[in-house]
Amino acid sequence: MNSRAALLIVLAAASVPHRAIAYPEFQAFVAKSSGRTVNCAMCHANSDGPEGTGPGQIGHLNAAELERLGRARSALQPGQAVESPILNAFGNHIIKSIGKEKFVELKVSPAHLADLLPPDSDLDHDGIPDVREYLDGTLPINHNDGNPLLLFRHNFRTNLVAIALTLAATVCGVWGLGHLLHGFATASRIKDTED
Amino acid sequence: MNLPEIIKNSEAYVAERFPVEKMSYSAMVVKKEVPVHRLSWAYYMGGLALFFFGVQMVTGLLLLFYYQPTVSDAHASVEFITDHVPGGSLVRNMHAWASSMMIAAVMVHLLTAFAMKAFAKPREITWVTGVVLLGITFGLGFTGYLLPWHQVAVNATKIGLQSVQEVGQYLPGAMAEWPRIVKETIQGEAAVGQATLSRFFALHVIILPLAMMATLGLHLLSVQLHGMSRGIDGPPKRQEKFFPTFFIKDLTVWGFAFIILFVIALCVPFESLYSYPLFEPFNPKGSTPDGIKPEWYFYFLYYPLELLPFWVILVGSTVLGAVLMGTPWIFQNTSRKTLQILTVLAALYLFVMTVFGEQIYHMFKG
Repeated sequence: MNSRAALLIVLAAASVPHRAIAYPEFQAFVAKSSGRTVNCAMCHANSDGPEGTGPGQIGHLNAAELERLGRARSALQPGQAVESPILNAFGNHIIKSIGKEKFVELKVSPAHLADLLPPDSDLDHDGIPDVREYLDGTLPINHNDGNPLLLFRHNFRTNLVAIALTLAATVCGVWGLGHLLHGFATASRIKDTED
Repeated sequence: MNLPEIIKNSEAYVAERFPVEKMSYSAMVVKKEVPVHRLSWAYYMGGLALFFFGVQMVTGLLLLFYYQPTVSDAHASVEFITDHVPGGSLVRNMHAWASSMMIAAVMVHLLTAFAMKAFAKPREITWVTGVVLLGITFGLGFTGYLLPWHQVAVNATKIGLQSVQEVGQYLPGAMAEWPRIVKETIQGEAAVGQATLSRFFALHVIILPLAMMATLGLHLLSVQLHGMSRGIDGPPKRQEKFFPTFFIKDLTVWGFAFIILFVIALCVPFESLYSYPLFEPFNPKGSTPDGIKPEWYFYFLYYPLELLPFWVILVGSTVLGAVLMGTPWIFQNTSRKTLQILTVLAALYLFVMTVFGEQIYHMFKG
């Protein structure tokens, strides 16, 4: 570890309390505005939040992860690479995009977080921007989770060729099978007539 | 009535329901005709349910290659299927969507068969086996719900099994213990755990499908022996040959159903309909997320259960079950018009409870 990094960690450790700080205001806002059940997993690595000894929680971190946590906590301004071990990709994306200082300010108006995040960012590539997923109460890092209608629109466009081929195969299959069965029925009638 | 008479009457009853003279390819397929009238669309619902059952069998067998029925690996294996197995997401979604579509098709089939008086003599066996098939279908849905071992699966199963035990308080004497014994037998241990998962897996993959196939065989045999019921009071517009005309139409409906299922399964992940915390791996030490409830096809029972005293639902369910099983005898002299009114009322109840059940619950409970 170089001396600059060590200094950074000491400063970060001194500037924040050792107890983890969660921000339930955002969770409460999303749950209320979207009508969906939401938990800490939207931004955190552990669905029960940062406090505790489970995976992705403060009490479970090793020395290297604590160092990364310290760096993340000192990222007060936007644009800094953040890899907090207690946050998931969306949580880190928020801090990187707006900085820790602005994020803490937004506690009183969580709705404005959507205005400040990059509008085109789509971490899970499901066709729904992260901002929209935040407002909808869906997980921005899970491509199977999202507004069903928006997912349908995106996946339909993406899989249009597969859908067209399957449709053609099904129509041909039913058409062919129908003719085959007609053939069997006709052959059976002819045989009955001959008998 | 003496014993020989009872045996003779029983023989006559069975002979009328399973006429040996009709048990031929010619009678059951070549000469069979289907009435054509305004309610003819209902004749396709049974075949549609059969198609979705076939889809469930095929996709279920494919899922078996990767699924691990252990509490430590079940959720991870389902995630592996979804995220890493080629076509796994599609197969799993088809399994999930087809289960819902199968239950919807079975319910519509039951309602339309009731409205058309398709249970009338000599089709009593067809009706009773159909009701049994409905029960098995619900059983498959209930047991399959637990297998992914996520939050909603385990917690909803706990609630379901707890409801079984609660029946005991309304039973007299030693019978009061029976529901607890049934619950513990199904559960396999003190709480929902590995033994429960193993038992539900065995029920879902072996026992219920075998029961389904056996009952389905009897149901289809009965349908082919007696043909489609006339369904309406007046004469039908015309008759069409079962083979190949109706059979090809049935296949076409299956083709449409397959395309719809394929597109939906490819484009809409089943879990997107629910809040994401419900699909996290079950953690007995973690917090239970809000919004735990059974699959949509149990809402007609679940929301009344949340709103009304348990004994009301218990009595209602028992009466409903008895009426369903006894329908061919209870409604044998009821007109089709009355049956259609009853069907509309039942369909309305199912629709309202399924679609607006949550709003009704919040309206009364706040």
